[in-house]
Parts: sequence; C-alpha cells; structure tokens
Amino acid sequence: MCDNVWYSTVFLGARRVSNAQQMQGKENFATSESTKVWWQIYRKVYVSGSIAKWNLIVAKVDEKDFSPALLEKTSTLLRKNPEYYTIWNVRRRIFNNEFNNINRQADQGQLSEDNKYSQVLDIINLDLQFIFPLLLQYPKCYWIWNHRVWLLQQASKYLLADRARSLWEDELKLVSKMLGRDSRNFHGWGYRRIVVENLEDRALNGKSMARDEYDYTTKMIGQNLSNFSAWHNRSRLILCILDEERASTQERQEMLDEEIKFIHKALFDPYDQSLWFYHQHLLSTFDPDIAGASMMPDLSNESRLTYVKAEQEFIEDLIEDVEDSKWVYQALIECALIEAKLVNGLSEKMRTNIKVWLDKLKQLDPLRRGRWIDTEQRLLKDMP
Amino acid sequence: MSLVSGPGRGGQKTNALPDELALAIDQHVKYIQQLDTRKDELQYWMTEHLRLNGVYWGLTALHLMGHPNALPHDQTVQFVLECQNPDGGFGAAPGHDSHMLYTLSAVQILATINALEELEKSKHGGGDKVAAFVASLQDRETGTFAGDEWGEQDTRFLFCALLALAILDKTDLVDVNKAVAYVKACENFDGSYGRIPGAESHSGQVYTCVGALSITKRLDLANLDRLGAWLSERQLPNGGLNGRPEKLEDVCYSWWVLSSLAMIDKVHWIDKTKLTNFILRCQVTMHESRSRTTLISIDRIPSKVAFLTGLAIWLMYSTLFSVLQA
Repeated sequence: MCDNVWYSTVFLGARRVSNAQQMQGKENFATSESTKVWWQIYRKVYVSGSIAKWNLIVAKVDEKDFSPALLEKTSTLLRKNPEYYTIWNVRRRIFNNEFNNINRQADQGQLSEDNKYSQVLDIINLDLQFIFPLLLQYPKCYWIWNHRVWLLQQASKYLLADRARSLWEDELKLVSKMLGRDSRNFHGWGYRRIVVENLEDRALNGKSMARDEYDYTTKMIGQNLSNFSAWHNRSRLILCILDEERASTQERQEMLDEEIKFIHKALFDPYDQSLWFYHQHLLSTFDPDIAGASMMPDLSNESRLTYVKAEQEFIEDLIEDVEDSKWVYQALIECALIEAKLVNGLSEKMRTNIKVWLDKLKQLDPLRRGRWIDTEQRLLKDMP
Repeated sequence: MSLVSGPGRGGQKTNALPDELALAIDQHVKYIQQLDTRKDELQYWMTEHLRLNGVYWGLTALHLMGHPNALPHDQTVQFVLECQNPDGGFGAAPGHDSHMLYTLSAVQILATINALEELEKSKHGGGDKVAAFVASLQDRETGTFAGDEWGEQDTRFLFCALLALAILDKTDLVDVNKAVAYVKACENFDGSYGRIPGAESHSGQVYTCVGALSITKRLDLANLDRLGAWLSERQLPNGGLNGRPEKLEDVCYSWWVLSSLAMIDKVHWIDKTKLTNFILRCQVTMHESRSRTTLISIDRIPSKVAFLTGLAIWLMYSTLFSVLQA
C-alpha cells in the first residue's frame, strides 16, 4: 500500500481520460438526429454506470477497503461531478488511511524518515495536480476549494516546515493566476486569505505579509478600479499594517492621506459604487461614533472637521462634471451628517442643502425612493 | 426545462416584457410533482448531492403556491428518514455523509408537514440526536459552526445550526452568545457580512448572518442603515438584484437580498414592482427553456454551480411571496 507507484498510475490514467473528455466537448453533438439517439443511449449507460460506481464506493468504504482502485473510482466520479461531496470525503478517508500507514511504518523502523516525507509529499502533490483542472473548470465549487485546503493542511501537519511552506507558496502563485482570470472570484479571494494566513504562520517560518498583500490590492485596483473585492481586502489590510507596525499618530495620518489621495484619483469614474463604498469607509474615520475602529481613532474633532470640509469641496468640484451621478449627492449627505455630529447640529443652510440633495436623489435614483424618503423624515424628526 | 438553476442561470436575456406577466402556478406545481419521476435523466443523478435541499425547495414553493398536499406526505417522511445517518445528521440523499446543509433541510421539511415527531421513529435517533449532531459542530472557542466532520467553517453553517436548533427548540445546547459575537466579527465596513471574519460581504452571507441575528433576537447589533443601504444598492435598473457590488443580477439574489431587507424592515428601500416584473420575466425564460434540447442543458451542467430542481421556483415564489406580503 505504501508504494506510491499506484498513485501515479491512477493519476496519469486520470489525466488521459480528462484529455479525451476535453476533445469530446469540442464536438457538437446536437448536429443531427442520429447523434441525438446515440447521445441518449450513451446517457443511459453513463447514468447507470455512475450509480453502480457510487454504490460500489459506498460499500467499499464501509468495508474500509481503501484500495488504489477505490481512489480511481472516486477520481472518475469527481471528474463527472465535483459536487459529490461524499466522494471527496471518501477520498480524504483513503488518504488519511494511507498517511497513517506511512507513519506507522516509519515508527516501526520499516521506512526511513526521508522516505516517509517523500511518500506523503507525493500523495499530496499528485492530488493537487488532480484537482487543478477541476478548479479551473469549476471555479465556484466549494468542495474543490475545501479539498485543496485540506491537502495543504496535511502538508503542514506531516511535512517539514520548509517543504510545506513551498507548497503554500505555490498556492499563492496559483491563486494569483486565478484572480488574474477572474478578478472578482469570491472563492479565489477567500482562498488567498487562507493561503496568506498559513504563510504568515510561525510554524512555517512565516512573517506578516500585510504590506505585500496591500500592494497586491493596489495592483489589482490599478487593473480594474471597480474591483470591490480588492477594496474590501485593502480596508482590512490597512488596519493590520498599522497595528503590526505599531504606527505612530503621524504614520497613521500619512496612511490616511495616502488613501484619500488614492481614492480621489480613482474617482475619475464617479459612477462606480465600489469606489464610493470605499470613500464612505474613509469618511467613517471622521465620524466620532465609529472612528474608534478606524485607522485613525484619535484624531481631534477639529481635524476631523477639516477633513470633512475638504471632502465636501472635492465632491462639489466633481459635481460640475457629473451632475447625474447619484453617488455624489449621497456622499455630500454623508459629509453633512458627520459634520452635524462634529459641530452638534445642522445649520439652516446645511438642512436646506440636504433637502435639495435628497430631491435630486429621488429624481436620479427612483429605485431607492423609499430610502430617500426615510432619510428625509428621520432628518426632520431627529434634527428639527 | 432544465433541472438545474443557480447563479448565472436564472437571469433573462431580454428586457422586453411579455404580454402577460402572471404566475404559472399550475405548470410549476406539475413540474415539482414530476421531478422525482425523472430518474432516467442524467441530471437527476448529477444533482443527487442536493436532493434533500431540493425536496425542501419544492415543498416550500408548493406551500407558497397554495398546494401544500401536492407531494405525498408518507413518502416524503420516509425519504427524509432514509437520508439520516447513525451520527444523527442527514446527508443529501440515502448513503451520503451527514452535513449541516442537509440536516437543516430535513428538519425544515418535517416541520413544514407537521411531522417532526416522526423523527422519534428513526432508527438513528430522534430530535435529541439530531440536535446533538448540530450542536457538536460548534467551535466552542469562536462560536461559529463547521459544516461537517471535515471542519469547513462558514456563517452559512452557523445560521443553519441556529435555525435547526430553534425549530427543534434546542438552542440551549450551544453557546448562542459566542455565535452572535462571531456574526458581529464578520461585519464589514459596508455594514454587510462575509463567510468568516475578514471575508468580503456577499448577499447570501448577509442573509445567513442577519438570519442568525434575527433568530437570536440580536438585530440591535447590526448597523441597520448601512446594511440596508448596501442591500438596496443591489437593485439594478432592470429591477433584478445582484450579490455584490458591480456584479450581474440573478434571480437567486432576489431572495437573499429581499429576505434580508424584510428582516430589517426595509423592503421599501427597493422598487418592489420592478423586482416583481424581473422575477416574472425569469419565469418566462424558464418556460421558454422547455424548448431547448435536453442535450444543451446537460452539456452545460458542469460549467456552473449545480443547484437542483425546484430551487428556481422556490426562489421565485419565496421572493414574490415576500414582495407581495410586504
């Protein structure tokens, strides 16, 4: 069982089948009646074959018969449908059984330490290779991502730190490639955070990667401004960096100024909601009610007011070119409400302005009319 | 018609309104009723990993459409019990491993047809055993839940656990305060929620987190204005809702977003008429797709997240029901 040659056979065989399937996919089956009939026959055989295979796998696992043939059967089923979560579980049971065997043999002196590590590594590597094409084909399938994380966790558990680390490093490259293909992939960003967290782990000789990841968001935003996933990650990373580097008040303020400059530059597209959400996030820094959790918690109210005024001016400048962007009016209202908290009340002029902006919003953004009416009513009630 | 729906599938290609926008109730009821007779189709087996969810979706849609008895009661109970495993949890279908997602569906189905007491007849243990399985998946340190023995953690499972336990009246088996604190830790600057702390907001996760706060009566912890604003910005000019900023609309998000808005009493922050029309237009697309060859639908299965049968209809009716009730 410990001879890993059988794994290679299984996986190489698997790859050949996979190629054949790809070739098949390129043909157009729907071209004639006769192919339709053939397809129906094929389907029936295929269905009954899958069910038979399924039943066999369940039976074999019950009997704890974790043979190479069983692994091959799970490969076949998973290539047909990676959503079969139970089959992924079977696969992990097979590997767990194998890892236990290897470790037992090493403990009993039948296997050298080097051989132990290389056998575990082979199993993990081959399975990472097996699921790679599946991941490309089904990038939104939770179970594939889960299995990949599990494999990497086994590497951390069973291998020497350097070796495990290099596997995790390869994952960072892989996920960068995937996010290059689809820069908003929800799973991709989630997986990236997991990979980074593991690479930062001291057990793998890691250290903080917050700066690098922050730079990565800058790069991704540079390629596509409306990448909200990147803006989101950026908001979290900034807090990490400032905490980890025990940033002084001045350093925090420099970071804040940089971010404001960055978002102003991005807002040359004033219709993109990703940018405005981030802008709103930066404005939170000046809201005395929630500033405590921001990158600059101890700014004086006087400084906050100066910042808010500067934002108001920036937005008013924008309006001249983009009167039809609803976001500028929302941002102006946000600024006004923060200002009201800082100076303990709204001036009559501000109140009139807000009413004008809300009217503008009702007209530009009728879908959310109910929200603008609620805002208006609350304003009249809370700040008479 | 395809058995499969889900993100990327439920939208419509045209903005033109059909002559009549109405609920095709009879056709939908019939469709759900005959789902279980399609065992000679590949898709039936390709979606086996969602079977128990599918029964829940179909059943709920039938109830919303005023046909609560359209599925045979005894067979439904029997099928649910066949999905239970010795650990007390339920798998997607007989022979599949236990998982939180299916355990909740099982409890929901039985509760819907007033058959929770049937659990006591199960050879794998009654309601207490089910509740113990759910409770065993809580991470006692952080308060969140895993989906199964393999340990994936996600606010989806936290919600499923609290809901299943609430239905079984067994929330005392878990640390509710820690679960609530965990949800709070998943809140982002936009007022919305992600899978785990630090993960991006997503309307599906918002539904589960707001749902968890709602079940535990802790909605006071949410930033309702910011959350409501983010949710309302999911509506696009064609009336449909998307799942995240700058993404395309899909009928499945109609449910996640709208039900979240309903829980925080802000459904009026979006345009209900436009949403209703969007959903009904998707229905037309579903019917039109009957004319597509089965081959094409099969060919497409692996390219998308496979959501089973009935999900589209469930989403449609649940959402429409909420819109019309609000």
